[in-house]
Amino acid sequence: MTPGEPLVRWDWIASHAADIGQRIGEHLELTVIAVMVGFLIAFVLSLLALRVPRLYGPITWTTGILYTIPSLALFALLIPYTGLSLLSAEIGLVSYTLLILIRNIVAGVRGVPVEVRDAARGMGYTERQILWRVELPLALAVIFAGIRVATITTIGLVTVTALIGQGGMGYFILLGIQLFFSTALIVGALGSVLLAVLADGTLVLVQRALTPWTRAG
Amino acid sequence: MAARRGATVELREVTKSYGDTVAVDHLSLTAPAGRISVLIGPSGCGKTTSLRMVNRLIEPTSGEILIDGQNVLREDPTELRRRIGYVIQQVGLFPHRTIGQNVATVPELLGWPVARIRARVDELLSLIGFDPARMRDRYPAQLSGGERQRVGVARAMAAEPPLMLMDEPFGAVDPIVRERLQNEFLQLQRTQGITVIFVTHDIDEAIKLGDRIAIMRAGKLVQYATPGELLAHPADDFVARFVGSDRGLKRLALLTVGGAELDPPIDPSRLDGAPVLSPSMSLRDALAEMLASETQMGMVRDGDNYLGVLTLSHIGRLLRTEDRE
Repeated sequence: MTPGEPLVRWDWIASHAADIGQRIGEHLELTVIAVMVGFLIAFVLSLLALRVPRLYGPITWTTGILYTIPSLALFALLIPYTGLSLLSAEIGLVSYTLLILIRNIVAGVRGVPVEVRDAARGMGYTERQILWRVELPLALAVIFAGIRVATITTIGLVTVTALIGQGGMGYFILLGIQLFFSTALIVGALGSVLLAVLADGTLVLVQRALTPWTRAG
Repeated sequence: MAARRGATVELREVTKSYGDTVAVDHLSLTAPAGRISVLIGPSGCGKTTSLRMVNRLIEPTSGEILIDGQNVLREDPTELRRRIGYVIQQVGLFPHRTIGQNVATVPELLGWPVARIRARVDELLSLIGFDPARMRDRYPAQLSGGERQRVGVARAMAAEPPLMLMDEPFGAVDPIVRERLQNEFLQLQRTQGITVIFVTHDIDEAIKLGDRIAIMRAGKLVQYATPGELLAHPADDFVARFVGSDRGLKRLALLTVGGAELDPPIDPSRLDGAPVLSPSMSLRDALAEMLASETQMGMVRDGDNYLGVLTLSHIGRLLRTEDRE
Protein backbone atom coordinates (compact mmCIF):
# COMPACT_ATOMS: atom_id res chain seq x y z
CA MET A 1 0.00 0.00 0.00
CA THR A 2 1.20 3.45 -0.77
CA PRO A 3 1.96 5.58 2.30
CA GLY A 4 -0.60 8.32 2.81
CA GLU A 5 -3.27 6.34 1.02
CA PRO A 6 -6.39 5.85 3.26
CA LEU A 7 -7.34 2.25 4.20
CA VAL A 8 -10.72 2.55 2.49
CA ARG A 9 -11.43 4.91 -0.38
CA TRP A 10 -15.19 5.38 -0.29
CA ASP A 11 -15.24 7.22 -3.60
CA TRP A 12 -13.75 4.14 -5.29
CA ILE A 13 -16.45 1.95 -3.80
CA ALA A 14 -19.16 4.38 -4.92
CA SER A 15 -17.84 4.53 -8.46
CA HIS A 16 -17.55 0.72 -8.65
CA ALA A 17 -20.99 -0.09 -7.17
CA ALA A 18 -22.24 -1.71 -10.37
CA ASP A 19 -19.12 -3.81 -10.67
CA ILE A 20 -19.38 -4.91 -7.04
CA GLY A 21 -23.02 -5.82 -7.54
CA GLN A 22 -22.17 -7.93 -10.54
CA ARG A 23 -19.37 -9.74 -8.70
CA ILE A 24 -21.72 -10.46 -5.79
CA GLY A 25 -24.11 -12.05 -8.26
CA GLU A 26 -21.27 -14.08 -9.74
CA HIS A 27 -20.15 -15.15 -6.27
CA LEU A 28 -23.62 -16.34 -5.38
CA GLU A 29 -24.03 -18.12 -8.69
CA LEU A 30 -20.76 -20.01 -8.26
CA THR A 31 -21.78 -20.96 -4.72
CA VAL A 32 -25.33 -22.04 -5.49
CA ILE A 33 -24.28 -24.17 -8.45
CA ALA A 34 -21.50 -25.80 -6.42
CA VAL A 35 -23.69 -26.61 -3.41
CA MET A 36 -26.61 -27.83 -5.53
CA VAL A 37 -24.52 -30.03 -7.79
CA GLY A 38 -22.49 -31.16 -4.80
CA PHE A 39 -25.67 -32.04 -2.93
CA LEU A 40 -27.05 -34.06 -5.83
CA ILE A 41 -23.84 -36.07 -6.15
CA ALA A 42 -23.52 -36.46 -2.39
CA PHE A 43 -27.17 -37.54 -2.14
CA VAL A 44 -26.77 -40.30 -4.72
CA LEU A 45 -23.52 -41.49 -3.14
CA SER A 46 -25.11 -41.40 0.34
CA LEU A 47 -28.08 -43.51 -0.77
CA LEU A 48 -25.60 -45.95 -2.25
CA ALA A 49 -23.60 -46.05 0.99
CA LEU A 50 -26.78 -46.53 3.02
CA ARG A 51 -27.93 -49.40 0.85
CA VAL A 52 -24.50 -51.03 0.56
CA PRO A 53 -22.77 -50.19 3.85
CA ARG A 54 -19.37 -51.51 2.77
CA LEU A 55 -19.21 -48.75 0.14
CA TYR A 56 -19.32 -46.06 2.81
CA GLY A 57 -15.62 -46.49 3.62
CA PRO A 58 -14.32 -46.12 0.06
CA ILE A 59 -16.72 -43.22 -0.64
CA THR A 60 -15.64 -41.17 2.37
CA TRP A 61 -12.02 -42.13 1.74
CA THR A 62 -12.13 -40.84 -1.84
CA THR A 63 -14.03 -37.65 -1.05
CA GLY A 64 -11.74 -37.20 1.95
CA ILE A 65 -8.71 -37.15 -0.34
CA LEU A 66 -10.46 -34.64 -2.61
CA TYR A 67 -11.11 -32.51 0.44
CA THR A 68 -7.44 -32.45 1.45
CA ILE A 69 -6.06 -31.32 -1.93
CA PRO A 70 -4.99 -27.69 -1.54
CA SER A 71 -7.46 -25.58 -3.50
CA LEU A 72 -4.76 -23.57 -5.25
CA ALA A 73 -3.17 -26.77 -6.55
CA LEU A 74 -6.49 -28.30 -7.57
CA PHE A 75 -7.50 -25.33 -9.70
CA ALA A 76 -4.05 -25.21 -11.29
CA LEU A 77 -4.24 -28.91 -12.07
CA LEU A 78 -7.59 -28.46 -13.80
CA ILE A 79 -6.44 -25.71 -16.18
CA PRO A 80 -4.86 -28.04 -18.78
CA TYR A 81 -8.13 -29.96 -19.04
CA THR A 82 -10.94 -27.49 -18.60
CA GLY A 83 -9.15 -24.17 -18.97
CA LEU A 84 -9.90 -20.89 -17.23
CA SER A 85 -13.57 -21.68 -17.12
CA LEU A 86 -16.64 -21.85 -14.93
CA LEU A 87 -16.38 -25.62 -15.28
CA SER A 88 -12.89 -25.67 -13.74
CA ALA A 89 -14.11 -23.58 -10.84
CA GLU A 90 -17.18 -25.75 -10.25
CA ILE A 91 -15.28 -29.03 -10.44
CA GLY A 92 -13.08 -27.81 -7.64
CA LEU A 93 -15.84 -26.25 -5.57
CA VAL A 94 -18.15 -29.24 -5.91
CA SER A 95 -15.46 -31.70 -4.89
CA TYR A 96 -14.88 -29.80 -1.66
CA THR A 97 -18.57 -30.03 -0.66
CA LEU A 98 -18.87 -33.80 -1.06
CA LEU A 99 -17.25 -35.11 2.13
CA ILE A 100 -19.18 -32.96 4.55
CA LEU A 101 -22.49 -33.48 2.74
CA ILE A 102 -22.15 -37.26 2.47
CA ARG A 103 -21.13 -37.58 6.08
CA ASN A 104 -24.10 -35.59 7.29
CA ILE A 105 -26.67 -37.25 5.04
CA VAL A 106 -25.52 -40.71 6.10
CA ALA A 107 -25.21 -39.77 9.77
CA GLY A 108 -28.64 -38.12 9.69
CA VAL A 109 -30.35 -41.17 8.25
CA ARG A 110 -28.46 -43.58 10.49
CA GLY A 111 -29.39 -41.44 13.48
CA VAL A 112 -33.11 -42.11 13.08
CA PRO A 113 -34.17 -44.02 16.22
CA VAL A 114 -34.43 -47.79 15.72
CA GLU A 115 -37.94 -47.89 17.19
CA VAL A 116 -39.21 -45.31 14.71
CA ARG A 117 -37.92 -47.39 11.83
CA ASP A 118 -39.34 -50.55 13.41
CA ALA A 119 -42.76 -48.96 13.88
CA ALA A 120 -42.71 -47.73 10.28
CA ARG A 121 -41.92 -51.21 8.95
CA GLY A 122 -44.42 -52.82 11.28
CA MET A 123 -47.20 -50.58 10.04
CA GLY A 124 -46.57 -51.42 6.43
CA TYR A 125 -44.31 -48.76 4.98
CA THR A 126 -42.22 -50.07 2.10
CA GLU A 127 -38.45 -49.59 2.34
CA ARG A 128 -38.69 -46.72 -0.13
CA GLN A 129 -41.46 -45.06 1.87
CA ILE A 130 -39.41 -45.44 5.05
CA LEU A 131 -36.51 -43.63 3.37
CA TRP A 132 -38.51 -40.76 1.87
CA ARG A 133 -41.24 -40.28 4.44
CA VAL A 134 -39.46 -41.12 7.68
CA GLU A 135 -35.68 -41.27 7.51
CA LEU A 136 -34.91 -38.32 5.24
CA PRO A 137 -37.37 -35.92 6.92
CA LEU A 138 -35.96 -36.85 10.32
CA ALA A 139 -32.41 -36.47 8.99
CA LEU A 140 -33.15 -32.94 7.73
CA ALA A 141 -31.67 -31.16 10.73
CA VAL A 142 -28.33 -33.00 10.39
CA ILE A 143 -28.39 -32.68 6.59
CA PHE A 144 -28.96 -28.95 6.90
CA ALA A 145 -26.04 -28.66 9.29
CA GLY A 146 -23.94 -30.17 6.50
CA ILE A 147 -25.38 -27.87 3.85
CA ARG A 148 -24.58 -24.86 6.03
CA VAL A 149 -20.94 -25.85 6.50
CA ALA A 150 -20.62 -26.72 2.80
CA THR A 151 -22.11 -23.38 1.81
CA ILE A 152 -19.90 -21.30 4.07
CA THR A 153 -16.80 -23.22 2.97
CA THR A 154 -17.74 -22.79 -0.68
CA ILE A 155 -18.32 -19.05 -0.32
CA GLY A 156 -14.80 -18.73 1.07
CA LEU A 157 -13.31 -20.95 -1.61
CA VAL A 158 -15.01 -19.10 -4.44
CA THR A 159 -12.56 -16.23 -3.87
CA VAL A 160 -9.68 -18.56 -4.80
CA THR A 161 -11.24 -19.23 -8.20
CA ALA A 162 -10.35 -15.63 -9.09
CA LEU A 163 -7.00 -17.15 -10.06
CA ILE A 164 -8.68 -18.99 -12.93
CA GLY A 165 -10.71 -16.04 -14.10
CA GLN A 166 -13.83 -16.61 -11.95
CA GLY A 167 -14.00 -15.68 -8.32
CA GLY A 168 -16.86 -13.27 -7.50
CA MET A 169 -15.56 -11.16 -4.64
CA GLY A 170 -12.20 -12.90 -5.07
CA TYR A 171 -11.69 -10.65 -8.11
CA PHE A 172 -11.37 -7.65 -5.77
CA ILE A 173 -9.04 -9.49 -3.43
CA LEU A 174 -6.76 -10.36 -6.34
CA LEU A 175 -7.01 -6.79 -7.63
CA GLY A 176 -6.08 -5.46 -4.19
CA ILE A 177 -3.05 -7.74 -4.00
CA GLN A 178 -1.86 -6.91 -7.51
CA LEU A 179 -2.27 -3.13 -7.13
CA PHE A 180 -1.37 -2.91 -3.42
CA PHE A 181 -4.82 -1.36 -3.09
CA SER A 182 -6.37 -1.92 0.33
CA THR A 183 -9.88 -0.75 -0.59
CA ALA A 184 -10.38 -3.51 -3.15
CA LEU A 185 -8.88 -6.08 -0.80
CA ILE A 186 -11.27 -5.12 1.99
CA VAL A 187 -14.29 -4.97 -0.32
CA GLY A 188 -13.48 -8.49 -1.56
CA ALA A 189 -12.77 -10.01 1.84
CA LEU A 190 -15.57 -8.33 3.79
CA GLY A 191 -18.00 -8.93 0.94
CA SER A 192 -17.23 -12.62 1.00
CA VAL A 193 -17.62 -12.83 4.77
CA LEU A 194 -20.89 -10.91 4.64
CA LEU A 195 -22.23 -13.23 1.95
CA ALA A 196 -21.35 -16.22 4.12
CA VAL A 197 -23.14 -14.78 7.14
CA LEU A 198 -26.24 -13.93 5.12
CA ALA A 199 -26.30 -17.32 3.40
CA ASP A 200 -25.99 -19.10 6.73
CA GLY A 201 -28.82 -17.06 8.22
CA THR A 202 -31.04 -17.80 5.24
CA LEU A 203 -30.35 -21.53 5.53
CA VAL A 204 -31.23 -21.47 9.22
CA LEU A 205 -34.58 -19.88 8.36
CA VAL A 206 -35.26 -22.42 5.61
CA GLN A 207 -34.41 -25.27 7.94
CA ARG A 208 -36.75 -23.95 10.62
CA ALA A 209 -39.57 -23.70 8.12
CA LEU A 210 -38.94 -27.26 6.96
CA THR A 211 -38.63 -28.85 10.44
CA PRO A 212 -41.39 -27.37 12.61
CA TRP A 213 -41.33 -30.39 14.94
CA THR A 214 -37.84 -29.61 16.22
CA ARG A 215 -39.21 -26.55 18.00
CA ALA A 216 -42.11 -28.42 19.60
CA GLY A 217 -41.94 -29.68 23.15
CA MET B 1 -70.93 -53.38 21.69
CA ALA B 2 -69.49 -54.08 18.27
CA ALA B 3 -69.84 -57.51 16.78
CA ARG B 4 -66.78 -59.68 17.29
CA ARG B 5 -64.65 -59.21 14.26
CA GLY B 6 -61.28 -60.33 15.52
CA ALA B 7 -59.19 -62.75 13.50
CA THR B 8 -58.07 -66.18 14.62
CA VAL B 9 -54.31 -66.65 14.54
CA GLU B 10 -52.80 -70.07 14.37
CA LEU B 11 -49.12 -70.89 14.67
CA ARG B 12 -48.20 -74.37 13.46
CA GLU B 13 -44.83 -75.82 14.31
CA VAL B 14 -43.19 -72.43 13.84
CA THR B 15 -39.41 -72.48 14.17
CA LYS B 16 -36.88 -69.69 13.87
CA SER B 17 -33.20 -70.45 14.00
CA TYR B 18 -30.17 -68.23 13.58
CA GLY B 19 -27.37 -70.57 12.57
CA ASP B 20 -27.14 -73.09 15.39
CA THR B 21 -29.22 -71.02 17.77
CA VAL B 22 -32.90 -71.88 17.87
CA ALA B 23 -34.88 -68.82 18.98
CA VAL B 24 -38.31 -70.39 18.56
CA ASP B 25 -38.68 -74.14 18.55
CA HIS B 26 -41.72 -75.79 16.94
CA LEU B 27 -44.19 -73.40 18.49
CA SER B 28 -47.84 -74.26 17.97
CA LEU B 29 -50.66 -72.27 19.45
CA THR B 30 -53.95 -70.67 18.52
CA ALA B 31 -54.88 -67.14 19.51
CA PRO B 32 -58.69 -67.17 19.56
CA ALA B 33 -60.68 -64.44 17.84
CA GLY B 34 -61.50 -61.38 19.90
CA ARG B 35 -59.34 -62.45 22.81
CA ILE B 36 -56.06 -61.36 24.32
CA SER B 37 -53.38 -64.03 24.17
CA VAL B 38 -50.27 -63.21 26.17
CA LEU B 39 -46.79 -64.54 25.39
CA ILE B 40 -44.62 -64.45 28.48
CA GLY B 41 -41.30 -65.81 29.66
CA PRO B 42 -37.81 -64.80 30.69
CA SER B 43 -35.57 -62.72 28.40
CA GLY B 44 -34.49 -64.65 25.35
CA CYS B 45 -37.38 -67.13 25.53
CA GLY B 46 -38.48 -66.26 22.00
CA LYS B 47 -41.66 -64.36 22.82
CA THR B 48 -40.81 -61.22 20.84
CA THR B 49 -39.42 -63.26 17.94
CA SER B 50 -42.68 -65.23 17.84
CA LEU B 51 -44.72 -62.03 17.80
CA ARG B 52 -42.65 -60.47 15.03
CA MET B 53 -43.05 -63.53 12.85
CA VAL B 54 -46.80 -63.00 12.73
CA ASN B 55 -46.43 -59.78 10.71
CA ARG B 56 -43.26 -61.05 9.06
CA LEU B 57 -40.87 -58.54 10.52
CA ILE B 58 -38.98 -61.77 11.08
CA GLU B 59 -39.32 -64.64 8.62
CA PRO B 60 -39.86 -68.08 10.17
CA THR B 61 -37.32 -70.76 9.30
CA SER B 62 -40.11 -73.33 9.06
CA GLY B 63 -43.73 -73.81 10.03
CA GLU B 64 -46.93 -71.99 9.14
CA ILE B 65 -48.72 -68.98 10.49
CA LEU B 66 -52.39 -68.66 9.59
CA ILE B 67 -54.63 -65.66 10.06
CA ASP B 68 -58.25 -66.71 9.59
CA GLY B 69 -56.91 -69.69 7.71
CA GLN B 70 -54.71 -67.66 5.34
CA ASN B 71 -51.01 -68.44 5.38
CA VAL B 72 -49.21 -65.14 6.01
CA LEU B 73 -46.09 -66.42 4.29
CA ARG B 74 -47.96 -66.34 0.98
CA GLU B 75 -48.94 -62.69 1.33
CA ASP B 76 -47.08 -59.52 0.48
CA PRO B 77 -45.43 -58.45 3.77
CA THR B 78 -46.30 -54.75 3.52
CA GLU B 79 -49.93 -55.48 2.60
CA LEU B 80 -50.07 -57.92 5.50
CA ARG B 81 -48.64 -55.42 8.00
CA ARG B 82 -51.15 -52.77 7.02
CA ARG B 83 -53.92 -55.11 8.15
CA ILE B 84 -52.29 -55.81 11.52
CA GLY B 85 -51.96 -53.29 14.34
CA TYR B 86 -48.46 -53.01 15.80
CA VAL B 87 -47.48 -51.43 19.11
CA ILE B 88 -44.04 -51.52 20.69
CA GLN B 89 -42.65 -50.51 24.07
CA GLN B 90 -40.74 -47.49 22.78
CA VAL B 91 -43.89 -46.54 20.85
CA GLY B 92 -41.95 -45.26 17.85
CA LEU B 93 -44.23 -42.35 17.06
CA PHE B 94 -42.97 -40.34 14.10
CA PRO B 95 -41.43 -37.24 15.70
CA HIS B 96 -41.90 -35.17 12.53
CA ARG B 97 -45.60 -35.90 12.19
CA THR B 98 -48.36 -34.47 14.35
CA ILE B 99 -50.48 -36.68 16.58
CA GLY B 100 -53.24 -36.60 13.97
CA GLN B 101 -50.83 -37.51 11.18
CA ASN B 102 -49.35 -40.30 13.26
CA VAL B 103 -52.76 -41.83 13.88
CA ALA B 104 -53.59 -41.40 10.17
CA THR B 105 -50.52 -43.38 9.06
CA VAL B 106 -52.07 -46.68 8.01
CA PRO B 107 -55.35 -45.24 6.62
CA GLU B 108 -53.15 -42.99 4.45
CA LEU B 109 -51.11 -45.95 3.29
CA LEU B 110 -54.35 -47.72 2.43
CA GLY B 111 -55.53 -44.70 0.45
CA TRP B 112 -58.64 -43.85 2.45
CA PRO B 113 -60.42 -40.65 1.37
CA VAL B 114 -59.25 -37.60 3.33
CA ALA B 115 -62.62 -36.97 4.98
CA ARG B 116 -62.83 -40.54 6.23
CA ILE B 117 -59.30 -40.36 7.62
CA ARG B 118 -60.06 -37.13 9.43
CA ALA B 119 -63.22 -38.54 10.97
CA ARG B 120 -61.43 -41.72 12.04
CA VAL B 121 -58.55 -39.79 13.61
CA ASP B 122 -60.93 -37.66 15.68
CA GLU B 123 -62.92 -40.74 16.67
CA LEU B 124 -59.77 -42.51 17.88
CA LEU B 125 -58.41 -39.49 19.72
CA SER B 126 -61.71 -39.25 21.58
CA LEU B 127 -61.61 -42.97 22.25
CA ILE B 128 -58.26 -42.64 24.04
CA GLY B 129 -59.58 -39.72 26.06
CA PHE B 130 -58.10 -36.83 24.08
CA ASP B 131 -59.82 -33.69 22.91
CA PRO B 132 -59.18 -33.97 19.15
CA ALA B 133 -59.21 -30.22 18.57
CA ARG B 134 -56.60 -29.69 21.27
CA MET B 135 -54.30 -32.66 20.55
CA ARG B 136 -54.54 -33.25 16.81
CA ASP B 137 -51.87 -30.78 15.75
CA ARG B 138 -49.35 -31.35 18.52
CA TYR B 139 -46.07 -33.14 17.99
CA PRO B 140 -45.08 -36.28 19.94
CA ALA B 141 -42.37 -34.32 21.78
CA GLN B 142 -45.13 -32.28 23.42
CA LEU B 143 -46.77 -35.33 25.02
CA SER B 144 -46.09 -37.22 28.25
CA GLY B 145 -44.95 -40.85 28.13
CA GLY B 146 -48.43 -42.12 28.95
CA GLU B 147 -50.03 -39.93 26.31
CA ARG B 148 -47.57 -41.13 23.68
CA GLN B 149 -48.32 -44.71 24.58
CA ARG B 150 -52.06 -44.03 24.10
CA VAL B 151 -51.38 -42.49 20.71
CA GLY B 152 -49.34 -45.58 19.81
CA VAL B 153 -52.36 -47.76 20.54
CA ALA B 154 -54.70 -45.44 18.63
CA ARG B 155 -52.34 -45.43 15.65
CA ALA B 156 -52.28 -49.22 15.62
CA MET B 157 -56.10 -49.38 15.70
CA ALA B 158 -56.64 -46.71 13.06
CA ALA B 159 -57.44 -48.93 10.09
CA GLU B 160 -59.67 -51.19 12.18
CA PRO B 161 -57.34 -54.18 12.11
CA PRO B 162 -58.81 -57.54 13.16
CA LEU B 163 -55.51 -58.30 14.91
CA MET B 164 -53.07 -56.31 17.03
CA LEU B 165 -49.55 -57.30 17.98
CA MET B 166 -48.30 -55.60 21.13
CA ASP B 167 -44.75 -55.91 22.44
CA GLU B 168 -44.56 -54.74 26.06
CA PRO B 169 -46.65 -51.70 25.17
CA PHE B 170 -46.98 -50.49 28.74
CA GLY B 171 -43.47 -51.37 29.87
CA ALA B 172 -41.95 -47.91 29.69
CA VAL B 173 -44.41 -45.98 31.87
CA ASP B 174 -44.63 -45.73 35.64
CA PRO B 175 -46.82 -48.20 37.57
CA ILE B 176 -49.74 -45.84 38.15
CA VAL B 177 -49.98 -44.79 34.52
CA ARG B 178 -49.45 -48.42 33.45
CA GLU B 179 -52.41 -49.56 35.54
CA ARG B 180 -54.62 -46.88 33.98
CA LEU B 181 -53.44 -47.66 30.45
CA GLN B 182 -54.09 -51.37 31.03
CA ASN B 183 -57.64 -50.67 32.19
CA GLU B 184 -58.33 -48.35 29.27
CA PHE B 185 -56.87 -50.84 26.85
CA LEU B 186 -58.96 -53.72 28.24
CA GLN B 187 -62.07 -51.61 27.84
CA LEU B 188 -61.10 -50.67 24.30
CA GLN B 189 -60.25 -54.24 23.33
CA ARG B 190 -63.53 -55.59 24.71
CA THR B 191 -65.66 -53.04 22.87
CA GLN B 192 -63.76 -53.34 19.59
CA GLY B 193 -63.51 -57.13 19.72
CA ILE B 194 -59.98 -57.15 18.34
CA THR B 195 -57.76 -60.20 18.62
CA VAL B 196 -54.59 -59.28 20.48
CA ILE B 197 -51.27 -61.06 20.83
CA PHE B 198 -49.45 -59.41 23.70
CA VAL B 199 -45.86 -59.87 24.80
CA THR B 200 -44.82 -59.05 28.36
CA HIS B 201 -42.37 -60.22 31.00
CA ASP B 202 -44.67 -59.08 33.81
CA ILE B 203 -46.76 -61.99 35.13
CA ASP B 204 -49.21 -59.65 36.89
CA GLU B 205 -49.86 -57.86 33.61
CA ALA B 206 -50.32 -61.22 31.89
CA ILE B 207 -52.86 -62.36 34.49
CA LYS B 208 -54.71 -59.08 34.37
CA LEU B 209 -54.96 -58.74 30.60
CA GLY B 210 -54.70 -62.25 29.24
CA ASP B 211 -57.63 -64.42 28.30
CA ARG B 212 -54.98 -67.01 27.67
CA ILE B 213 -51.33 -67.03 28.68
CA ALA B 214 -48.54 -68.84 26.84
CA ILE B 215 -45.48 -69.38 29.00
CA MET B 216 -42.33 -69.84 26.92
CA ARG B 217 -38.89 -71.00 27.84
CA ALA B 218 -35.88 -71.36 25.53
CA GLY B 219 -38.04 -71.07 22.43
CA LYS B 220 -40.53 -73.71 23.51
CA LEU B 221 -44.09 -73.41 24.71
CA VAL B 222 -44.24 -74.70 28.29
CA GLN B 223 -47.89 -74.07 29.09
CA TYR B 224 -50.79 -72.38 27.35
CA ALA B 225 -53.81 -71.87 29.58
CA THR B 226 -56.23 -69.38 31.08
CA PRO B 227 -54.84 -67.33 33.99
CA GLY B 228 -56.95 -69.35 36.44
CA GLU B 229 -55.69 -72.70 35.16
CA LEU B 230 -52.13 -71.48 35.08
CA LEU B 231 -52.25 -70.39 38.72
CA ALA B 232 -54.14 -73.44 39.91
CA HIS B 233 -52.23 -76.03 37.92
CA PRO B 234 -48.78 -74.91 36.81
CA ALA B 235 -47.46 -77.49 34.36
CA ASP B 236 -44.08 -77.81 36.02
CA ASP B 237 -41.70 -76.24 38.54
CA PHE B 238 -40.54 -73.67 36.01
CA VAL B 239 -44.07 -72.37 35.51
CA ALA B 240 -44.76 -72.50 39.26
CA ARG B 241 -41.64 -70.44 39.96
CA PHE B 242 -42.44 -68.10 37.11
CA VAL B 243 -45.96 -67.32 38.29
CA GLY B 244 -44.56 -66.80 41.78
CA SER B 245 -44.90 -68.31 45.25
CA ASP B 246 -47.83 -65.98 45.84
CA ARG B 247 -49.85 -67.64 43.12
CA GLY B 248 -52.57 -68.46 45.65
CA LEU B 249 -53.04 -64.75 46.28
CA LYS B 250 -52.94 -64.06 42.56
CA ARG B 251 -55.73 -66.59 42.05
CA LEU B 252 -57.80 -64.87 44.71
CA ALA B 253 -57.49 -61.70 42.65
CA LEU B 254 -59.27 -63.53 39.81
CA LEU B 255 -62.09 -64.88 42.01
CA THR B 256 -64.99 -62.90 43.44
CA VAL B 257 -66.79 -62.94 46.76
CA GLY B 258 -69.96 -63.93 44.90
CA GLY B 259 -68.32 -67.18 43.78
CA ALA B 260 -67.39 -68.28 47.30
CA GLU B 261 -69.47 -70.37 49.65
CA LEU B 262 -70.89 -68.32 52.53
CA ASP B 263 -72.15 -68.99 56.06
CA PRO B 264 -75.80 -68.08 56.51
CA PRO B 265 -76.45 -64.56 57.84
CA ILE B 266 -75.86 -64.09 61.55
CA ASP B 267 -76.88 -61.25 63.83
CA PRO B 268 -75.08 -58.14 62.58
CA SER B 269 -74.23 -57.16 66.15
CA ARG B 270 -71.86 -60.12 66.24
CA LEU B 271 -70.10 -58.73 63.17
CA ASP B 272 -69.12 -55.50 64.83
CA GLY B 273 -66.12 -54.02 63.01
CA ALA B 274 -66.27 -56.59 60.19
CA PRO B 275 -65.94 -55.23 56.65
CA VAL B 276 -68.93 -55.10 54.34
CA LEU B 277 -68.18 -56.96 51.11
CA SER B 278 -70.00 -56.88 47.80
CA PRO B 279 -70.33 -59.99 45.60
CA SER B 280 -68.35 -58.38 42.77
CA MET B 281 -65.33 -57.70 44.99
CA SER B 282 -62.23 -59.80 44.38
CA LEU B 283 -61.46 -62.37 47.07
CA ARG B 284 -57.98 -60.91 47.38
CA ASP B 285 -59.33 -57.51 48.37
CA ALA B 286 -61.91 -59.16 50.64
CA LEU B 287 -59.18 -61.14 52.36
CA ALA B 288 -57.12 -58.02 52.93
CA GLU B 289 -60.06 -56.27 54.58
CA MET B 290 -61.01 -59.30 56.69
CA LEU B 291 -57.46 -59.75 57.97
CA ALA B 292 -57.38 -56.13 59.00
CA SER B 293 -60.59 -56.43 61.04
CA GLU B 294 -60.90 -57.95 64.51
CA THR B 295 -63.52 -60.53 63.63
CA GLN B 296 -61.62 -61.97 60.63
CA MET B 297 -64.99 -62.23 58.91
CA GLY B 298 -66.79 -60.26 56.23
CA MET B 299 -70.47 -59.36 55.88
CA VAL B 300 -71.51 -59.93 52.28
CA ARG B 301 -74.18 -57.55 51.05
CA ASP B 302 -75.56 -56.90 47.62
CA GLY B 303 -76.98 -53.43 48.12
CA ASP B 304 -79.57 -53.82 50.91
CA ASN B 305 -79.62 -57.57 50.54
CA TYR B 306 -77.64 -59.30 53.33
CA LEU B 307 -76.38 -62.51 51.69
CA GLY B 308 -74.24 -64.14 54.36
CA VAL B 309 -70.87 -64.25 56.05
CA LEU B 310 -67.50 -64.94 54.46
CA THR B 311 -64.84 -66.53 56.67
CA LEU B 312 -61.15 -67.27 56.20
CA SER B 313 -61.81 -70.99 56.08
CA HIS B 314 -64.18 -70.50 53.13
CA ILE B 315 -61.40 -68.81 51.21
CA GLY B 316 -58.91 -71.53 52.10
CA ARG B 317 -61.33 -74.24 51.10
CA LEU B 318 -61.98 -72.57 47.77
CA LEU B 319 -58.26 -72.54 46.95
CA ARG B 320 -57.90 -76.19 47.93
CA THR B 321 -60.92 -77.44 45.99
CA GLU B 322 -59.87 -75.56 42.89
CA ASP B 323 -56.44 -77.15 43.18
CA ARG B 324 -57.96 -80.60 43.03
CA GLU B 325 -60.04 -79.92 39.94
